[in-house]
Amino acid sequence: MTMLEVKNLKRTFTTKDNMFGRREVKAVRDVSFTIPDGGVISFIGESGCGKTTIGRIVAGLETPTDGTVLLDGIDIHRANPKERRELMRQIQLIQQDPYQALNPAHTIEEALAQPLRLMAKRKAGVSNAWIQDRMAEVLSLVGLDPAAILYKYPHMLSGGQRQRVVIARALTVEPKVLVADEAVSMIDVSLRLGVLHLLRNLREKLNISVLFITHDVAASRYLGRDGKVFVIYKGMIVEEGATDTVINGPTHPYTQALLSAVPVLKGLEVPGSQRFYVEKELSQDGLSEEGCLFASRCPFATAECRRQLPPLAGDSHKSACLYPYERQVTARMLD
Amino acid sequence: MNAELQLIDAQTAVQVRGLNVVYETTQGDIPAVQNVNLDIRKGQITGIIGESGSGKSTLVMAMMNAVAKPGRVASGSIEVSGVGDMMKLSTEQQRRARSTELGLVFQAAQNSLNPLRRIGHQVLDLGRSHGVKDLRALLRKAKDLLERLGLDADRVLTAYQHELSGGMRQRVGIMFALVLDAKVVILDEATTALDMLSQASVLQIVRELHEERGLTTILITHDMGVVGDLADRVVVMYAGCIVEEGVTQEVLTSPKHPYTRGLIRAIPRISGDIDKAVPLSGSPPDMNTYKQPGCLFADRCPLAAPECQQSRPPLLEVETGRHVACFRVNDHA
Repeated sequence: MTMLEVKNLKRTFTTKDNMFGRREVKAVRDVSFTIPDGGVISFIGESGCGKTTIGRIVAGLETPTDGTVLLDGIDIHRANPKERRELMRQIQLIQQDPYQALNPAHTIEEALAQPLRLMAKRKAGVSNAWIQDRMAEVLSLVGLDPAAILYKYPHMLSGGQRQRVVIARALTVEPKVLVADEAVSMIDVSLRLGVLHLLRNLREKLNISVLFITHDVAASRYLGRDGKVFVIYKGMIVEEGATDTVINGPTHPYTQALLSAVPVLKGLEVPGSQRFYVEKELSQDGLSEEGCLFASRCPFATAECRRQLPPLAGDSHKSACLYPYERQVTARMLD
Repeated sequence: MNAELQLIDAQTAVQVRGLNVVYETTQGDIPAVQNVNLDIRKGQITGIIGESGSGKSTLVMAMMNAVAKPGRVASGSIEVSGVGDMMKLSTEQQRRARSTELGLVFQAAQNSLNPLRRIGHQVLDLGRSHGVKDLRALLRKAKDLLERLGLDADRVLTAYQHELSGGMRQRVGIMFALVLDAKVVILDEATTALDMLSQASVLQIVRELHEERGLTTILITHDMGVVGDLADRVVVMYAGCIVEEGVTQEVLTSPKHPYTRGLIRAIPRISGDIDKAVPLSGSPPDMNTYKQPGCLFADRCPLAAPECQQSRPPLLEVETGRHVACFRVNDHA
């Protein structure tokens, strides 16, 4: 069953008037995807590719210029305010920086009690004891000891613990969808996998759907191994498919460039035989609206690529390239 | 000074002995780097890896004798090949050694460039402060380097830092580190703030320049991937101590310290069985960790024995060129 369906999402930002007039930045261009009930999908891309904007639109923080976001069949951006509040509860966003997501002047107990008090009001006939029980429950779900953490302030916790508190707070309102935007990239390496592991467990235990936004291909593989991967470039999906299919056999040059850029551990792995580097950087200016958006950076681009924009084509493994071709760029583990 | 120079052999670029750095706080001194002995080998890329707060940046700042207050080098010596002991040189001699011998590329290059002056002017400032006679030649050199780094040199030299992207600024930082022909280049988390694609191309440039110019490169990072891809040797730091040091390939394939082993296991990879990745247990070191007499990793260590709680294991050579600080180095699971 489909939990979340996004159809033809578009978002254009207009810059302020200046001496050059207004400029339009197409942050999201025609993006469609679905997340199954209890399923997981990951968005991969560089910073500035629009993946965060898509996450914010899905979480209701941003209004799309065009397109629809359907949660259980209801359009979250066109629902009436009362419905919308209820829908917003069901989608929770976990942001990148756990240092800024918590109020430094509130203890963890206060941070968790606030949403729970609202929940208690909705559920008629529950007592204060319910709030206490629920707090302990969500904290143990995220692997924290309630007695050792409730009285603390955010500054007394490590990055990993803070992110767990942020996740616990999201869980207090019993969401159906979690949007995790770079949720582990600011956490120390040794603790990162722990948080990824937690998100994976929550999915399995509570049947929560996860939209995982990241630039770390390996992290998306860990959290979303049974899901799908969407590779985003300049607000467009350039490749999509089952996680392992895309990582092991990418057909779009941009996906291949991303996979080539993953460092190879000497002695443990061998680099893919067709690994290549992209020299140029992503830029928003001087964009010609014609042709493939990646053509100016693509080492395999032809004259034809600069003329027409390739559509996202294919059955289960789709690629938006005129010449989709599988290259061996992914590092292989040595035995 | 010549007598001192003979102390370090020809293979070593920087020799650190008995280094202790503390940060002064109202609650007393907090050790940031503890009893570090380290040889940085000439012509090699040495990766220093550790989590935030492990003392890796403090260690290299101490190598330049440039630890900022409230930090203080409590004891130890830093012999730099061709310069002498950084701790004993006069302030002026130290200043000259930085840039001409030791070049540093900062983590956030945007914070190390002057926002009010064009890049070209800053190159000239650098030349003047180091008494370079031929400033034209210096600019030419800067231009060559920038072009070598894949940038449009004329545009960059006339630009202010805000006109450049993150990847470009990082390359400009590398140019500044090399323009006075430093022999030892230190990159402090130089690619951390960059995108994956720019990271890959900056790392590729570092690798190429390292070989072309016969540099000694020190790479500080928390990313095992960067070290594993680039470094010849790796130094693993935990809570201010070196816990393991050796040839990258050997450390990666057969880590001997439980922390190194845990760290390598905790990184998800893009190939192989993803479920082999196991999170490291416990929480990172805090103020109280430093106060205990035993091994700093003991309370997170799966192998901890009673003796680990009582005294701190010294860094010992267990094989040729391989140092490990662990009492239970021979009986790991």
